[in-house]
Amino acid sequence: MATPVLICDDSSFARKQMARALPKNWDVEITFACNGEEAIQVIKEGKGEVVFLDLTMPVMDGYETLAYIKKNELNACVIVVSGDIQPEARAEVTQLGALEFIKKPISTDKAAEVLTKFGIL
Amino acid sequence: MNQSVSVSITEDQRDCYQEISNVAMGQAADLLARLLGVKVILPIPVVNLIEVNELRMALSGIENSDTVSGVCQGFIGNAISGEALLIFNDTSFSDISSLLQYKGVLDAALELELLMDVANILIGACLRGIGEQLDVNFSQGHPVVLGQHVNLNDLLKSDNYRWTKTLAIEINYKIEGYDINCDLLILFTEDAIDVLNRKVDYLLED
Amino acid sequence: MTDSSQSSDQFKEMHSFMAMLQNLDVGLVVLDREYKIQLWNNFMESHSGLHPYEVREQVLFDAFPEINRDWFCHKAESVFQLNTRAFTTWEQRPYLFKFKNYRPITGSAQFMYQNITIIPLDSSVGVVEKIGIIVYDVTDVAVNRIELNAVNNELKRLSRTDKLTGLYNRGYWEDCLAKEFKRAQRTEQVSTLVMFDIDHFKKVNDKYGHPAGDAAIKNTADLLIMNMRETDVAGRYGGEEYTVLLIGTTAEQSMTFVERLRKSIEDSVVQYQDQKFKYTVSLGVAELTKNIKSHSEWIESADQALYQSKENGRNCATIYK
Repeated sequence: MATPVLICDDSSFARKQMARALPKNWDVEITFACNGEEAIQVIKEGKGEVVFLDLTMPVMDGYETLAYIKKNELNACVIVVSGDIQPEARAEVTQLGALEFIKKPISTDKAAEVLTKFGIL
Repeated sequence: MNQSVSVSITEDQRDCYQEISNVAMGQAADLLARLLGVKVILPIPVVNLIEVNELRMALSGIENSDTVSGVCQGFIGNAISGEALLIFNDTSFSDISSLLQYKGVLDAALELELLMDVANILIGACLRGIGEQLDVNFSQGHPVVLGQHVNLNDLLKSDNYRWTKTLAIEINYKIEGYDINCDLLILFTEDAIDVLNRKVDYLLED
Repeated sequence: MTDSSQSSDQFKEMHSFMAMLQNLDVGLVVLDREYKIQLWNNFMESHSGLHPYEVREQVLFDAFPEINRDWFCHKAESVFQLNTRAFTTWEQRPYLFKFKNYRPITGSAQFMYQNITIIPLDSSVGVVEKIGIIVYDVTDVAVNRIELNAVNNELKRLSRTDKLTGLYNRGYWEDCLAKEFKRAQRTEQVSTLVMFDIDHFKKVNDKYGHPAGDAAIKNTADLLIMNMRETDVAGRYGGEEYTVLLIGTTAEQSMTFVERLRKSIEDSVVQYQDQKFKYTVSLGVAELTKNIKSHSEWIESADQALYQSKENGRNCATIYK
């Protein structure tokens, strides 16, 4: 069965870049979201088992989204993909329950490495 | 100078420039954070195609009444050229000097040191970040001091801009817990926009 | 092609490449992590008079004690640690290496103004092991800019100054007053404004002629400058009207100055060509109070006090109440 994957980023280019970076041999069904609110809706519908989440977004940012997922115990493995690569950002999202923190721009190799590391692939 | 051809960017291209800037800005902020030992608050970069005489409006992070100091630095690579402007609100200097642990009286000379130190980091890292994503190696010219303690209009005044349109990326950096406010503007020349658009279209291709 | 001929070709290529670097009209220096000099090109040799073998492996600051070590290290460390370039301009420091200006005819500067670029080297593994310094001679640019600034400053001074008296003109003086008004309000410091004019100035003009009147105006300004403190801000407000801003002074305190000024003008004699004459001034004093809401109200207050002095028979001073 295809894995339901959610890509959440306010930039359509970034969403496309992320989708392209996913391993070719991975059977997925991708849903896109532009902000945290949309992402939570998608996760609640069960379409976001694996989530690639941006941090700086309008409406509801990545930090707020992570906090909501944690508080409401939603079923999602969240991997943060961010342009903000300051050590504080990484520490904060890890504390909020993110599996991993990947620097933008994302590469195919990095995506595969992380997915393998957590046994998702 | 070529006859003015109307240049434009599509919404997809604008989104792509914004994302590229976002990544480059993050890399620059990381270096600044390490240099100063602070957390840099990252804004959403603003990308606009504007008339050069509208430059003032592109600097949304700075109030009219503030006095500012600024440097600019030209850059070029693969026929893509432009200028980077770093503009500091003058109120920022006392906090920066304590963060950079400079000793001595905070006079115009020391402020210039601080301005150049931050400019070296932010402009260099941003251009490198943008260049890496677009596969361009930018070389930087020597920075030029635009002015110290002047109002913004005086800083930007010039009667003979050689180009009329510019692709402007504005990044307003703030630092958590400090009164530091600076605007980084990356301006691409009119001639460069076509080349840039083609590079970006390549990235946008499926 | 054999290995040896290939390497000899490479060597030749390298050699011509180095010759080109040697002849560049910019200074090239390579330093290692301990700031020891590794490379020293022809430009550096020519201007310093030191051969590469004399400086090689020497610590930069030992070879050139005039370099401010703290300053240079501050810049260089960011290059080593952050793997970014650093630029410094002659406006920060005129030079890194103190080289004499080598053009006796066209050069008006004592030394070579320099722009410096510091670039990270050997960063293939992400660790910067050496840095390169590029030294640009920008003496021409710097000298032109300094001269231009001097001219601009002189123009600025002229645009602020009243030609006859050398005091600030009304426009610039009012700007100063507006600034001081805001500053004093913010800091709640005392400040006093004095306005005065020449008594019966029209009679002086009518009796002795306009040039003699001008001499009186000049004489008043000279005595004002002689009697005021360096921190006081004086302007020529109108024809025969003067203003002085006494920062950090109450009305009572200012009376010493006011009386001294009044007396010195009363005692002075103006000589114009064959004519000699005496004249007096009337003064109004207004300390900044909470009731004064704008800088123009402040002027009005001083002006009212001045009017009172005229009413009281001239050649005297009144404090605004």
